[in-house]
Amino acid sequence: MALKGKKVIEFAGLAPAPFAGLVLSDNGASVVRVDRPSASTLDVLCRGKRSVAINSKIPSGRELLKRLIASSDVLIDPFRPGVMERLGLGPDVFLGSSGLNQRLVYARIIGFPRTGPYKNMAGHDLNYLALSGILSMLPGSTDKPSFPLNLLADFAGGGMHSVTKILLALLERNENNQGQVIDVDMVSGTRYVSTSPLIHRLNPFTGRFAAERGANLLDGGAPFYNIYACRDGGLLTLACIEPHFFKIFIGRFLEVLPEYLVLSDEWREFPFIAAQADRKLWLKLKQLLTSGFSLRTRNEWADIFFGTDACCVPVLTPEEAALKLSSCTALVSDKEAGSCLLNPGRHTREVLTVELGLTENEYEKLVDEGAIGQC
Amino acid sequence: MALKGIKVVEFAGLAPGPFAGLVLADNGATVFRIDKPFQSSSSDILCRNKRSLAINPKIPSGLDVLKKVVASSDVLIDPFRPGVMERLGLGPVVFLGENGKVGLNEKLIYARIVGFPRTGSHKDMAGHDINYLALSGILSMLPGSHNRPTFPLNLLADFAGGGLLCTLGIILALFERNSSGRGQVVNVDMVSGARYVSSFPLMHFLNPSTGTFAAKRGGNLLDGGAPFYNIYTCKDGAFMSVGCLEPQFFNTFIEHFIKALPSDFKQRYGWVPNSSTQFDRNTWPELKNFLELGFHTRTRDEWTAVFMDTDACAVPILTPEEASQMEESGQSVPLPHPRILSKMNGAAQVIDLVPIELPPGKHTEEILQELGLTDTEYQRLVQDGAIEGTRSKL
Repeated sequence: MALKGKKVIEFAGLAPAPFAGLVLSDNGASVVRVDRPSASTLDVLCRGKRSVAINSKIPSGRELLKRLIASSDVLIDPFRPGVMERLGLGPDVFLGSSGLNQRLVYARIIGFPRTGPYKNMAGHDLNYLALSGILSMLPGSTDKPSFPLNLLADFAGGGMHSVTKILLALLERNENNQGQVIDVDMVSGTRYVSTSPLIHRLNPFTGRFAAERGANLLDGGAPFYNIYACRDGGLLTLACIEPHFFKIFIGRFLEVLPEYLVLSDEWREFPFIAAQADRKLWLKLKQLLTSGFSLRTRNEWADIFFGTDACCVPVLTPEEAALKLSSCTALVSDKEAGSCLLNPGRHTREVLTVELGLTENEYEKLVDEGAIGQC
Repeated sequence: MALKGIKVVEFAGLAPGPFAGLVLADNGATVFRIDKPFQSSSSDILCRNKRSLAINPKIPSGLDVLKKVVASSDVLIDPFRPGVMERLGLGPVVFLGENGKVGLNEKLIYARIVGFPRTGSHKDMAGHDINYLALSGILSMLPGSHNRPTFPLNLLADFAGGGLLCTLGIILALFERNSSGRGQVVNVDMVSGARYVSSFPLMHFLNPSTGTFAAKRGGNLLDGGAPFYNIYTCKDGAFMSVGCLEPQFFNTFIEHFIKALPSDFKQRYGWVPNSSTQFDRNTWPELKNFLELGFHTRTRDEWTAVFMDTDACAVPILTPEEASQMEESGQSVPLPHPRILSKMNGAAQVIDLVPIELPPGKHTEEILQELGLTDTEYQRLVQDGAIEGTRSKL
């Protein structure tokens, strides 16, 4: 695996940091999550990781952390600006001119931009989305946009982004033998992932995002790029953007609907093909598609369009999706799934004695001082 | 820059391919977009720092030149449905070799992005982002109206689970190549990609004992169920985001919120939120109502000032134009991110001045010259119709 032999220290934190650690672990890196002793955790992104519990408030605990980081390749710092420096674990300690590990890739992931009015404030994904500009473009109700859980800022703009840059830093290190600091903030990261819609919106001449929220091609404005409810409450997605795909869809759709509907005046007189390109007809087209889709169940519709280029596929629940994909090649590693939670400190002894080379005495001393957690 | 000297051949396609090319270009790679000749324009706006080579692989001399271009490159991005590149004579085997047969470029990273999984029932079907989201399982979890989720444009499958994940795969392969000396095929499909990016909610959903996604859609902590992780409309119709999950942040939020309300509001309303019941779902409807009515009493900018410099996790929802103004650089379009600290580029590129469109074929002549083609060879391509002659002189 690409990252075999690479050692990562991930300070326990929320969402983006564990996800970055997960991706590195999935690709062969040895990832150690540093927890506080007696912390509890709901971190489910801990596949393949080990956990050490170290108390950074105790001097010998801090020394231990320094040693751990000094012998690693990557550090993931999820804290607000200044926290690591106050612990005596800031970048200078490792990357400075007399630094302990000048090959270290020091990745810092924060929410708000490091320079700017929000830099010292607490926040979460929804807040970073808010400042990015993209949230205001997302469809939702007529009243307000809706937000896709904490996927865009925490995971796409935060975790994934960080990993990409960590890897690039490791690549650079192969050439120049130097580590570096990587700074990710989730407002900028989200903006970067959202480059395409943002560029379109700021350049209305392209026409792609020139209308108001919810009235564009890709935000629910277009009837042929949307979600429809079926007779059984199941849902279908329709995405036949290209005219030749739309033609395939409409042909089949009209073919399978009952005659009383398709031959009614309303339907017979409606210019379906022309309507795709005519925004004035989109509302009507949406109404007709809505009433048509409501006549059959989701699975019936799925079967009707299966194997065609109509771009019409059902919305699966997470369980259905997992079942469906179980026969396909997965993107992820072959490390076993195991239980989804990782108890803090589970591997403290193993990591410290076997890898860092601490003696039993040294280990016991740290326990006595409260520097590490017993598991 | 990390990818300086890396040459990328990106076959023109929709969203994910261009975005992967963009990220590589932003990190120093030289990226050629391969277009079909005789097209006047392209709607691709993710072409910052790329060059365009317009060449027809269906013409034999065009195919030969394309093979040469790929043979001298490090990365190829293939956005087509399974089988297309093979039929053109540009499949992975041609470059990476097979079973003792030597390829033209065994160091090539051959990145393939498709929508539906390559082995699976939908592999030959056309589709778009929303379809891939549908099969991933995550779409069914997204908030929206009572009977339907909404979808965040084409960000999750096309860009996060597609383009960005492809970039990641390419970089991992480049990394492996440093030790193995060999290239490889990198396969991305956007159903699996969207699932991977969505690991967190999917894993919580499939493990309801954690409680994080145990309720039905729209009733959870992070999908609009919790009043303290939500969007509120202000007096002027603009919005505030509230994300105070932690009790200490919730306390701060409530304290500042109540203090800022008009003096008669509390009396009229007759109820005040109690921070000890933050996680008692029975109180959520009342709290949501209180916040909705309360936020309506002031404008968004007034609320912004109320919460500025606090840990209330309440910040305004900006329009794209307003968000651009917050960019330190002063540029309106998102800058490549993140920035690497140890190597600040001397003159930061002024992205606003870079045209957002790249006319197909703009650099054909230049690129073929770099490749070492003679004038005769060039003219032959024009004659065959493999490339468009005069265009690239623009």
